[in-house]
Amino acid sequence: MSDYLDPTDSVAVPRKTAPRPSSLDGKTVTLLDISKAKGDHLLDRIEELLRERARPKAIVRKRKPTFARPAPDELRREIVGATDVLIEALAD
Amino acid sequence: MSLADSELTADAIEELYARGVTDGLPVVPPTRERVSRAVAATGRDAGELVARVPPNYGRATVEKIAVNAVMAGCRPEYLPVVVAAVEAVCDEAFDLHGVSATTNAPAPLVVVNGPVRGRLELNCGAGVFGSGWRANATIGRALRLVCVNVGGAIPGVVSMSTLAHPGRYTYCIGEHEEASPWDSLAVEHGFARADSTVAVLAADAPLSVYDQRSRAPEDLLATIAASMAVIEHHKMTHWGDTLLVLSPEHAALVGDARWTKADVRRWLWERLRRPVRELLPGRDGGDGLPEHVLRKFKDPAHDDTLVPKFRAPENIKILVAGGTAGRFSAIVPGWTFSKGSALVFRQIRPASLEDTP
Repeated sequence: MSDYLDPTDSVAVPRKTAPRPSSLDGKTVTLLDISKAKGDHLLDRIEELLRERARPKAIVRKRKPTFARPAPDELRREIVGATDVLIEALAD
Repeated sequence: MSLADSELTADAIEELYARGVTDGLPVVPPTRERVSRAVAATGRDAGELVARVPPNYGRATVEKIAVNAVMAGCRPEYLPVVVAAVEAVCDEAFDLHGVSATTNAPAPLVVVNGPVRGRLELNCGAGVFGSGWRANATIGRALRLVCVNVGGAIPGVVSMSTLAHPGRYTYCIGEHEEASPWDSLAVEHGFARADSTVAVLAADAPLSVYDQRSRAPEDLLATIAASMAVIEHHKMTHWGDTLLVLSPEHAALVGDARWTKADVRRWLWERLRRPVRELLPGRDGGDGLPEHVLRKFKDPAHDDTLVPKFRAPENIKILVAGGTAGRFSAIVPGWTFSKGSALVFRQIRPASLEDTP
């Protein structure tokens, strides 16, 4: 490609997923509803299973105003630093 | 071109395919010389940042846009239109993040108004949504390549549309202002007739509607309303910006009867309301009014309150385009539910090619 200019933004860094914890015991888990239809049904069931199978310190429920846009900065700040694990439900 | 040059170009095309920076069609190799000519046509510095392109928020500098426009096959003089279109889709109101990532099917439709249409030979007439016109084909394509190469909207990786539609190759039309009985879409939105503008809509494919025999606005609009009623889902309500592209013959029928665009919008908006009782999720379609809305009514199954398909008459955006023969119009549904995307305008600069250095 040396003869041609690059059409991509080479500085844009691919996102990486955070390291996964080995256990959920004693962890704060946030369940994020993105406001898709029936996302709450899915998260209700996940919360039940978490309480049944793990010993999280706390389970926190959060909700995005709309699935069509990224989470507002304020909501991100509320989640980051206050949670160990985030589970986001898509549903429909 | 010598045989050796032809072979070199063919290799470059394959090399660009291998890099995954095409839309599936061959691209023009972005040599430094071609890109320089394209940058010069913008009258801006190569390094000037035009926008950050969601969802990866890559930096669309003038040069990056030019590289992609060259690849798309743009002539240098198309660049100001491409730059304006990139600015427009990166406006927060357009929600390119959602448009590029959704499982739904939208593609940015670029609508061009003003004198630039004639200068660039941008098609506004017969076959306006179709093939055969370099400006329409390559301006829309350049925008797509910017969304993918700079924005990161790689199909099947980040861009997860279930079906998408062919407008994701290119989707660019001009308004046939000369065949319209009304002010253009841009003038209606506050621009001067001498301004050249782009408007971008997160748009589904056009839905063609024919009506050969109506001779009164109410009759024609009843036909159009019946097709508008089912866009997205027949029980979808409170929808946002959607284009109604009237052919010159249909527009003349309405205009000759002294109906304004506002009259058309109001008539359609009122016609496209349905009682709550018809909008319940059920065996005629599992979607419908959501639970939090239904809770506002005591007995939804028997409630006659009218709920509008569109949030306001102004969400029905009307323009005139297409050939002067034929009673065919088109509805271009927007991906424009509440809190979603909206029609966004940008003025094209420089305003005339004479301003280009």
